[in-house]
Amino acid sequence: MSDKTLNKIFLHEFHLENGAKFVPFAGYEMPINYKKGIINEHLHVREKVGIFDVSHMGQILITANDKNISSLETYIPLNIKKIPSNKCHYSFILNKKGGIIDDIMISKININNKENIYIVYNASRKKILNEIFNNICDNYSVLNNRCLIAIQGPSSHSVLSSYLDLSKIINFLDINILQFENTDLYISRSGYTGEDGFEISIPNENAENFINQIFKNENACLCGLGCRDSLRVEAGLSLYGNEINEDITPVQANLSWALDKKRLEDDNLNGSSILLQQLQHTKDSIKIGITPINKTMLRNNMTLHNSEKKEIGYITSGCFSPILKKSIGMGYINDVTNRMDKLYVKVRGDFEEVIIDNIPFVKKNYKKGG
Amino acid sequence: MVEKKYTKEHEWVEVDGDTATVGITNHAQESLGDIVFIDLPTVGKEVKSNEELCVIESVKAASDIYAPIDGEVIEINNSLNNDASIVNQDPEKDGWIFKMKISDLSQYNNLMTLDEYLASLEN
Repeated sequence: MSDKTLNKIFLHEFHLENGAKFVPFAGYEMPINYKKGIINEHLHVREKVGIFDVSHMGQILITANDKNISSLETYIPLNIKKIPSNKCHYSFILNKKGGIIDDIMISKININNKENIYIVYNASRKKILNEIFNNICDNYSVLNNRCLIAIQGPSSHSVLSSYLDLSKIINFLDINILQFENTDLYISRSGYTGEDGFEISIPNENAENFINQIFKNENACLCGLGCRDSLRVEAGLSLYGNEINEDITPVQANLSWALDKKRLEDDNLNGSSILLQQLQHTKDSIKIGITPINKTMLRNNMTLHNSEKKEIGYITSGCFSPILKKSIGMGYINDVTNRMDKLYVKVRGDFEEVIIDNIPFVKKNYKKGG
Repeated sequence: MVEKKYTKEHEWVEVDGDTATVGITNHAQESLGDIVFIDLPTVGKEVKSNEELCVIESVKAASDIYAPIDGEVIEINNSLNNDASIVNQDPEKDGWIFKMKISDLSQYNNLMTLDEYLASLEN
């Protein structure tokens, strides 16, 4: 893809000036890393605080009226009417087979005394989701005029609280609207790194000033998508296009915890009977964490084999873990009995033994019960 | 010792007698990013030029290293087994990857000079 066909995020020039290296990602030219490099940025997020510009992601506000809620509940396995305001939920947009059209963060927030449904979705799925929202919702606005900034790491609360009163965003998945320079920020205590952190939706025109203020803090550093990926693999989190896609259901992806089980008895939900059946019976696909025994790198799409070298699965995400100082990966195997057998990954024609490891590889550090 | 030469695959080659030392260029290590593991070639392996010889794994991707000249691998840089990031820190000296015994010096002469290599990067 040539640069001309790629979209630029609003703060592209700011990242360029700060030493970003760019790669094409989901139709956008995105910072993959800055001068410190992926491993240092990764370690920085685990130790202090990293700033990610994830403005390529989709954001939408949908008026929370009965019709919109009912339409969304055809695709989203939650009781949207009953979810409390100011709390984010990890959920899905499902197709009729129960496959995942996208994974999303959804919440209800009150803007100008009106209840809105706020959804953050993947850049790679913007086109298809915008079509769905357009077909089923009235009164919505796609927030192309806002950046999305993630502040991630154990010091994110202390760094951010110098600029904002975070007393309404105490626990993991809390979301609220805070003022910055007389404008509304939608701030949630969330992220996709396994660390405590915040995701901040901010109007484009205020974003550079906001980032610069946080950037002044000596504990903060700009981080790119490179370490965002290795951080989420260490945390065992799924990525659309890797672990999940339209042919994989939340049950198969070990994400049934995110389903409202009562909704699986509701015919209005896409794929509800398939999901219910999968929950009650043996899964036909099993997500596993793996690490190689010898020094080798696991990469997406490598095949997994049993002791007879028969292909029994594949790797969905593979990377180097800067914390564990070895390669780690996630993948699917198609038979639970294979867990008892030796497991191999095919690396450039050779079979390398791997072992099944626990997901997450690195303990999550979310803020709970504070 | 003769002048250092470069390949279009971003390797450098330094020849001393019939021994060629091979590594990757500074430009290559910069674009690869953090190097975490190198699958070093086997000593004694005989290869033709442009044949894949070993693999560098960076956090971003796996990249093949090719034999720049026909020859036999006679030594590998074992210190890279313990710390592959030496290639990031000092790609054109301590970060050398392997040495080969070569017979055909004309293949070496056909590689790029530093000026030619730098010019090739700009295109």
